[in-house]
Amino acid sequence: MTEDNLQSSKRARKLRRVLFLAFGGLLAMMVVAGLDALHSLRQLDGIERQVSQRYSTHTQALTTILISVHVYHDRMERYLLSGESPESGTNVADVQNCGARVRDALQKYPADSEPEEQALLSEIQQKFSEQENAFTVLVRQQVGERPDERQERMGEQMMLRRAYILRISRDVSSLNDRKLMEAEQSMSASFRSVQTRLMSMVALSLLAGLLLSLLGGFYVSKLERQGRTRYQELVASRQELEALSARLVDAQEEERRSISRELHDEVGQTLGALLVDLGQLSKLVPAEDKFLQGHITRIKSIAEAAVKSIRNLALLLRPPMLDDLGLVPALEWQGREISRRGDMEVDVHSEAVSEQLADDVKVCVYRLVQEALMNAARHSGAKHAQVSVVQSRESIHVQIVDDGSGFPAERVRGMGILGMEERVKRLEGSLAIKSSPGKGTTVLAEIPAQRLEQR
Amino acid sequence: MRKIRILLADDHKLMRSGLRVLLEQQADLTVVGEASDGREAVALVASHRPDVLVMDIGMPTLNGIEAAAQITQSHPEIAIVMLSMHSDESYVLRALKAGAKGYLLKDSAEADLIRAVHSVGEGKSYFSPAVSKVLLDDYIRKLKRSGTEDPYDLLTPREREVLQLVAEGKSNKDVAQLFNLSVYTVETHRSNIMEKLNLHGVPELILYAVRKGIIS
Repeated sequence: MTEDNLQSSKRARKLRRVLFLAFGGLLAMMVVAGLDALHSLRQLDGIERQVSQRYSTHTQALTTILISVHVYHDRMERYLLSGESPESGTNVADVQNCGARVRDALQKYPADSEPEEQALLSEIQQKFSEQENAFTVLVRQQVGERPDERQERMGEQMMLRRAYILRISRDVSSLNDRKLMEAEQSMSASFRSVQTRLMSMVALSLLAGLLLSLLGGFYVSKLERQGRTRYQELVASRQELEALSARLVDAQEEERRSISRELHDEVGQTLGALLVDLGQLSKLVPAEDKFLQGHITRIKSIAEAAVKSIRNLALLLRPPMLDDLGLVPALEWQGREISRRGDMEVDVHSEAVSEQLADDVKVCVYRLVQEALMNAARHSGAKHAQVSVVQSRESIHVQIVDDGSGFPAERVRGMGILGMEERVKRLEGSLAIKSSPGKGTTVLAEIPAQRLEQR
Repeated sequence: MRKIRILLADDHKLMRSGLRVLLEQQADLTVVGEASDGREAVALVASHRPDVLVMDIGMPTLNGIEAAAQITQSHPEIAIVMLSMHSDESYVLRALKAGAKGYLLKDSAEADLIRAVHSVGEGKSYFSPAVSKVLLDDYIRKLKRSGTEDPYDLLTPREREVLQLVAEGKSNKDVAQLFNLSVYTVETHRSNIMEKLNLHGVPELILYAVRKGIIS
């Protein structure tokens, strides 16, 4: 039994530890998943910002290049068409200045560009250098010279170069666009992966949670089952205890009865017979024989004392009145007996009490009244006590009221009171004791009718 | 002279033989049978028809009081002397209600038995002096503690005379003849006595008389 208990408690402890760890693990898993998702999202956000920034700087730089290229060519064309004149406000230095701006813009193009982009840019640079060179040649030749065929071809070439530069610029732009798109794609891919990861974590947590709650449910139901079993065991053992104490009361009563009978019938009657014989003897011995007569008288008084004490003992153990006369006369006898011995007067009142009461009911009521009266006479200094036994169709109602000093009923619980409770409970009855210092004591008992008649 | 025929009922052989020796020392008494329990007593009474039955109260199978009640029903002419260990009112009253004429304590049986048998044999009642004393003591104590008057003082001299005669076992007719009264007047006296003393029935009246020492 104890080994079983030990083992099961050990098992329970183990299970508890497992559950604790599992719940801890689940929580940790959820926290990790959350943190990871947060971290990834933050990272993604950073990347996105970086990408868009890069895109916008590249686009801006490219736009600056394009604008400067356009301005350069615009200035150059204007110069070539109208020559150096103050009206048009164009001169070589101005064009060269614009060229410098183009170079500057090309220089300022962000350095973090891809090789492909770099190649395109260097091609633009190269073409532009060629363009500038071509312009320089043209300007030198133009001074004082009429434009000729070669010049025109050069102009065409320059136009072509310009268109080429612009196309490359567009290529760069579209390259940037593609880069952005790629970045966005990769970002959305990594976002998807974060999503997948988070989702799988959630699914995993859910699964673990489900498993855990199953385990927990199993554990709880096991505990419940254990609790129920223990409760049943408790109830059973309490019932056993009650039955045992009932048997104890019965056994005690039976023992008392047999000892009482033995004392009263055997010892008492033998002494009685002895007394009769002694009387005979004293008649046979001449009255003048003082010596013998004195002896006989002494023996007689000893025998009488023995008879008296035996009888008192027998009465205390089990009053024969209960069997000879029934409950009410026995109670009346008891009341008078207490009145005779002490200062308390006992009145016994009875109503409709059956003469066919079951023995255990008689004994119960008798002992109850006995205990209550004894307590009143011994401890309370009561002058008067009233015993009332009333039988109705439903129950038998016993009440013992005294005018003694009383006691704090809610605190004092002697063996006598416990004994009363035990007896009354055995007959499915109820007992109430009302008392408080200075207010006397009332003992109330009720025994239901189904237990009253002889079985 | 006709002997008084006696039946002994006691569950103890020793007690019975002691009593038998005691009784048979008297020339006018004879023991016609012995019963060891109440049932046997009832049976032997029917077959032996004794004048007096001396019976212990505490006996197995059928106790003395119940046996006495049965015998009073079937043989009212038989005088019953109850033997008892107890001098308490409960026993005395029960014995009287069962029809016993005498009540004897076992302690004093040896001294009083002969007188008791003679008394009941003559149709009178007999109570051990110790019983009368206990009854009287209880009565006086109760009166004193409750502070009430003895209702006996409320009785008129004539009522007291009637009380004594009724307690001694006389019928209304006997009493009427004795005092030269009508039976009706005696009945009125009786009911007055009962009312003043708060008694219910002849057994209680006899008990009261014993208690007061009016009869013994």
